[in-house]
Amino acid sequence: MWRGSEALSPIECEQVLQEIELYLDGELVGAIARDIEDHLGQCGPCMSRSEFRRKLKGLIAARCGCDEVPPHLTEKLHTLLSRVDPTEP
Amino acid sequence: MCASVAYAGHMAESRSAARGEAVEIPEDEDALRARFERDVMPLVQGLYAAALRMTRNPSDAEDLVQETVLRAFRGFAGFREGTNLKAWLYRILTNTFINMYRKKQREPATVSVDGDLEEWFLYDRLAERGAEASAETTVLEAMPDEDVQAALESLPENFRMAVLLADVEGFSYKEIAQMLDIPIGTVMSRLHRGRRALEKALWDVARERGFVTD
Repeated sequence: MWRGSEALSPIECEQVLQEIELYLDGELVGAIARDIEDHLGQCGPCMSRSEFRRKLKGLIAARCGCDEVPPHLTEKLHTLLSRVDPTEP
Repeated sequence: MCASVAYAGHMAESRSAARGEAVEIPEDEDALRARFERDVMPLVQGLYAAALRMTRNPSDAEDLVQETVLRAFRGFAGFREGTNLKAWLYRILTNTFINMYRKKQREPATVSVDGDLEEWFLYDRLAERGAEASAETTVLEAMPDEDVQAALESLPENFRMAVLLADVEGFSYKEIAQMLDIPIGTVMSRLHRGRRALEKALWDVARERGFVTD
């Protein structure tokens, strides 16, 4: 029985960079995630690209999710909800 | 007081359900309101930011948030604790956006995701400017929020939604697939191409604003 990527070590840069988004998104588990981690620990250029994508993801999250709710919207929401009975289907 | 008593009842109901007993103790209105206020209202800030990125204007974003919160409130009695509240709420947001606004939105012509997008376009351009190897994101970090938002908002809707839900909201591919009602493979390709287009857009905005020069 083939046991995942265990047979493919050491993993190549090209393969690491192809999978790097899945890895950073937390969508990879098990042997392949560990292989990528090991590779990044030993390969400066791949680590640099991985860190770039990781920081970029964090930057987008911080800058694009920070808008403050206008106070009049909060008021409107409370007024709106006070007029609705949530137990009625 | 009333709310806390009813909430304890709800907990008992969940425990009974876990044991497989068919016990239904419906929450009363006060308990539902209290639970909605406690669990959903803190998520409104994130909803508003997401609505702004989707609709790209404050007036439509406010309407979208109002409609989403109203629909969530009406459906809240049917929402079971223990399932993912944020995913449930964003599914309502996404559906509401698609139903109410998609038709009247005009797609921007600024960024195309057609054709070949260089895989490391932004990284290579920032790295070749001679900055320290670890400083590729420094230029981007210096950009104001509005410029980063403009870059994201310049993406066509399909790609913008995938990037927004994954990178801003942190949903898994599976959750995004369920929200947008598309296969996981489509989520992955939209995310991949959307991110490359976003990197290109960030470079363009940074150049227009003079953060980088060719």
